[in-house]
Amino acid sequence: MAFDRPSGDRVSDRRRWLRAAVDERRALLVPGAANALTARVIEDAGFEVAYVTGAGVANTLLGVPDIGLVTLTEIVQTTEAIAEICSLPLIVDIDTGFGNAVNTRRTVRLLERAGAAAVQIEDQVFPKKCGHFDGKGVIPAAEMVSKIKAAVDAREDANLLVIARTDARAIEGLDAAIERAERYIEAGADVTFVEAPTSPDEMRAVTARLRVPQVANLVVGGRTPLLPQAELAALGFSIVLYANTPLQAAMRAMSEVLGALKRDGGLDAVKDRLAGFEERQRLVDKATYDALEKRYAVE
Amino acid sequence: MSVETAPLTTPSLATPPLRAQLAAGGFVVAPGVYDALSALIASRAGFGALYLSGASIAYTRYGVPDIGLLGMTEVADTLTAICDRVAAPVIVDGDTGFGNALNVTRTVRAFERAGAQAIQLEDQAMPKRCGHLAGKSLVPAAEMAGKVKAAVDARRAEDFLIVARTDAIAVEGYGPALDRAELYLEAGADVLFVEAPRDRIEMDGIVARFGGRVPLLANMVEGGRTPLLDAAALEAIGYALAIFPGGTVRALSRLLEEYYGSLREHGGTGPFLDRMNLFDGLNEIIGTPGYLARGRAYDGSNFGDKA
Repeated sequence: MAFDRPSGDRVSDRRRWLRAAVDERRALLVPGAANALTARVIEDAGFEVAYVTGAGVANTLLGVPDIGLVTLTEIVQTTEAIAEICSLPLIVDIDTGFGNAVNTRRTVRLLERAGAAAVQIEDQVFPKKCGHFDGKGVIPAAEMVSKIKAAVDAREDANLLVIARTDARAIEGLDAAIERAERYIEAGADVTFVEAPTSPDEMRAVTARLRVPQVANLVVGGRTPLLPQAELAALGFSIVLYANTPLQAAMRAMSEVLGALKRDGGLDAVKDRLAGFEERQRLVDKATYDALEKRYAVE
Repeated sequence: MSVETAPLTTPSLATPPLRAQLAAGGFVVAPGVYDALSALIASRAGFGALYLSGASIAYTRYGVPDIGLLGMTEVADTLTAICDRVAAPVIVDGDTGFGNALNVTRTVRAFERAGAQAIQLEDQAMPKRCGHLAGKSLVPAAEMAGKVKAAVDARRAEDFLIVARTDAIAVEGYGPALDRAELYLEAGADVLFVEAPRDRIEMDGIVARFGGRVPLLANMVEGGRTPLLDAAALEAIGYALAIFPGGTVRALSRLLEEYYGSLREHGGTGPFLDRMNLFDGLNEIIGTPGYLARGRAYDGSNFGDKA
């Protein structure tokens, strides 16, 4: 059983561990999971933290783009399922908090109970508009400040990290985005996340000018340079999100294997690309359940 | 062998679809329901339609005010449980559609699939609040028209009705509210719901403008801003449909206060017995005998099992 992580068995231990770990500013690599199986694979691969990705839930659970169709309930249920089988601290993407400050309060409370170690809230307009992919809208900074205060007030465990993300870089420029982040820090954000700086210089400015731990979001094909972990640590980032990497890898693998099956009518050409039966059972921890069945077997 | 079983839904299997009831010109009264038990009881009382109130779900299941805290999934879960148990048409409160036009699409599909026969969508900004509370704000009329159109396009069955509600009287005034309703009608709304007219004159004016063109819905809120009228009076004005969404929980909350007060005071339920359904009475409402009969019909002994 995979309960020997330094982050600990209880959620409160994981939260304390994550709070200390982000202070080390060592560019923790954090892959995203949209479901429990992905979280299993992330933990099995040796990562220390996992990210519950809203975009991934939209893409996989619903098969739709990341345009604000996912409900709070669906994020809570996904987080509960992941927390049940994964012993890593979980950073949960709560989008805009699913409404105003009062909705954010409910969102944070439900996710804390679901097992989150951190929640990430962003200052985009709610709900995300159809034109999201062409240009994001941001809410006034003061409104975001009130949501962050609501999030901070809502948590019961002071170690639950509130990560405030600003999407203002693309709209108002880097300086305005950093100023927003400063206001979010004053409001109580433990970590800030200036989304989509476009160069190493901009990334350096973010970590140099903001005193709390910072998040870098590495999106393949996105605007932020895909720097290696050592450079991100040198720049002083605490968390490096690879939110959609597992999903993108799985999509490619599924397409290629299923393409071969359709083309050939069999799996001979791609046999070596499938997880074997044993591997599959290991990843869903069947041995533990077998042991439980034995322990509770009726004599 | 054939299995003879009692139907698991209530006796109102013959209730015609809501669209047909409205087309036939009958006046429809839809009481508020908030879960499958309240829906069963309302259905047995003989109502032609039921109204699943978002406010009532907020009150009963979550104990919070009607200020837009509930998500679409929470309403859909409640709706699914209700439609699994009753055959009467259910009008579901879709609030703002839980977002923009694309969210409306998902909401309509989810609610239609869950078994609703009508969805009510309103033009408040998100997160919404109860129509009779102060401090409402609206989305632009054109944005709401787009949401109504999205709802019309999203439904799979023609019998699924789109009820368009405007909250504009309290925000923009009476005239603009009627103009909004006109726009929503053009966008394809099947029923119009002009929320919270303040007197009989305003109610008459709504009917004068839209009566005969589209069925009109009246919302009766005890203690709200609209005169509290009964079905006969509303039909005489020219409405087609009346909902009494919150009355159920207002009555229920009073009853529970009295019941718990009595139990606390007397340490027993004796003094309250004449106001209770006893064991068999409640089982009859729930349909326990039908379930047990069905269980017996599927017993292995009916299929060659020599128990």
